[in-house]
Amino acid sequence: MTTFYTKWGAMLVAMSILSILTYNHYQQDLATLSPQHILESPPAEEVRLLGMVRGGTLRGDLEAGDAQFDVVEEETSLPVKYHGPPPENLRELKTLVLIGTWNPTAKVFEARDIGLVTNYGFVMGAYLIGLLPLVLIVFSMSRKVSLLYTEIKESTVYQPE
Amino acid sequence: MIHKAIRRIQRLKGWFGGGAALCIFAGLYLGLIDSPPDYYQGEVVRIMYVHVPLAHTALFAYTVLFGGSVWYLWKRDPIVDNMCHACAALSAIFTALALATGMIWGKPTWNTWWTWDARLTSFIVLLLILIGYLMLRTFIDDPEKEARYAAVLAILGFVDLPIIHFSVEWWRTLHQPQSFSIRGVSISSGLLVPLFCMSVGMSLLFSYMLMVRTQLLYLTHLLHAKKGRLLSQFHLSKADS
Amino acid sequence: MAFLKVVQWIVWKDLVTEIRSRETISSMVFFALIVILIFSFSFSMNQQAAQEVIAGIIWVAFAFTGIIGLGKSFSSELQNDCLESLQMVPAPKGAIFLGKVTANFAFIFVVEILLFPMFVIFFNLDVIEEIPILLLIFFLATIGLSAVGTLFSALTVQIRAREVMLPILLLPLVVPVMIAAVEATKGALHGDPFSLYRQWVELLSIFDVVFTVVSFWLFEFVMDS
Repeated sequence: MTTFYTKWGAMLVAMSILSILTYNHYQQDLATLSPQHILESPPAEEVRLLGMVRGGTLRGDLEAGDAQFDVVEEETSLPVKYHGPPPENLRELKTLVLIGTWNPTAKVFEARDIGLVTNYGFVMGAYLIGLLPLVLIVFSMSRKVSLLYTEIKESTVYQPE
Repeated sequence: MIHKAIRRIQRLKGWFGGGAALCIFAGLYLGLIDSPPDYYQGEVVRIMYVHVPLAHTALFAYTVLFGGSVWYLWKRDPIVDNMCHACAALSAIFTALALATGMIWGKPTWNTWWTWDARLTSFIVLLLILIGYLMLRTFIDDPEKEARYAAVLAILGFVDLPIIHFSVEWWRTLHQPQSFSIRGVSISSGLLVPLFCMSVGMSLLFSYMLMVRTQLLYLTHLLHAKKGRLLSQFHLSKADS
Repeated sequence: MAFLKVVQWIVWKDLVTEIRSRETISSMVFFALIVILIFSFSFSMNQQAAQEVIAGIIWVAFAFTGIIGLGKSFSSELQNDCLESLQMVPAPKGAIFLGKVTANFAFIFVVEILLFPMFVIFFNLDVIEEIPILLLIFFLATIGLSAVGTLFSALTVQIRAREVMLPILLLPLVVPVMIAAVEATKGALHGDPFSLYRQWVELLSIFDVVFTVVSFWLFEFVMDS
């Protein structure tokens, strides 16, 4: 039985390493800033801004890839100047993620690309539901088989009295 | 005392288990960390690395069930019957998981939990056939009859499967616009490698689980026999006198 | 020639039993009538909506009625050890299968013929020109249902929860028959040209051929005692 538990302990360690690696990989995608954060502590490097396009503020030449609008989240509003690839799904009242830098002199966020607002809950849920039952079932079946082997070896044939 | 086929399985299963673990870890690493997100669906396409291998493995499992049933009807080997029973339970699990992950993939891409898509519908019918098989196994008492009838059911179900798939697919193309029938994944080579890895890994995992479960069923029967639980009251009373 | 003789004998036996007692067909007809009534109450619909769902209602009624008839075909053999005597007949078991399939097919088809005028009356269908093609669809679908259903009836008659297991095992396997029959009936009732729903009739024929052959071959394993 001890070799059994050692093998499964190694599996558990490998699974934890994989989950930590995955979490680290996606950490940077999860880190988005709100307009309030950018106004209060303006970052110097390129960041991701998450907010909603305020209604009535979208203007510019969308086919050429230029747009100006305001991004708002809970009362705080931030002007954005977008210059990048022509956006397919840029409309008012849409929540999106903008990748760009904050320009302190012009007091405007210069965005160079639009990212997708990914809902990682679905991906994580799918992987958990898809893989966790299998792991649990394999573990319990293997354990039962090991136990049965020892029990068969130890038990004696039934003798009616 | 243990049947030599079971002893052979005991020696072989380690390889399958190790191979399965290796392939699945590699596939997960490649799929989650190394591969790029899809252009249209973004990160959600990574669910494909779990759903499609599960679906392929479920169909592979059903093929194994069919092969085992034909083998049983030809040779009447009770170990093969154990294997069929094990295979059906595992097949049902893989089908149910494929359906669940398919539904979770459907919500962000099509914004519905369920749609009468050709593949999802034929998988539900497959799940029903498998559940019927397991119920049939439970409701028959005589083990020889149980094995025979279950084999007949498995063979019929397998022959029916392509017909079901085509009829459902024709039915869906009639009633739904074409945009739903393809998942909209632009298959680039970056996406294929993790998919292949996970598919192979899932099939190896299924083979490993099949071996373990066949052993489980066989050993349970053996233990019952050794402990005298398979003797009927008639034998016990005869032994007294 | 023992093969054909056995087939004839079984068909004759079932038909004569039925003509004398009339219990199977009458219970099937009344059950189907009740199903039609319940559907009329549950879908309170106007003429337009009725045309959409009527094909589905027809085939749901026929499927459940067929299951009743199929269940009875082998459970009536349980009394007086008739099942064991069937197993001892010195002819290939496929002959018994063909005999039973023909008898079941006859019963279900008669019920369908009796019931279709009720559908026409209750739902105001206008189908005089379509009668031949509808008969063809009913014929093909009923063959499919009876072939697989007879096999499962023989299989489930000897197990515990027999009345429940027959529909559970049968219905997933006849899903293609249901889909094809409903689509073909829908096309015929709409008055569409035949080329539009021709694929469904072809599917029904393929299903019938494949499944009669496979069930014929598998019946021997079910009837071994």
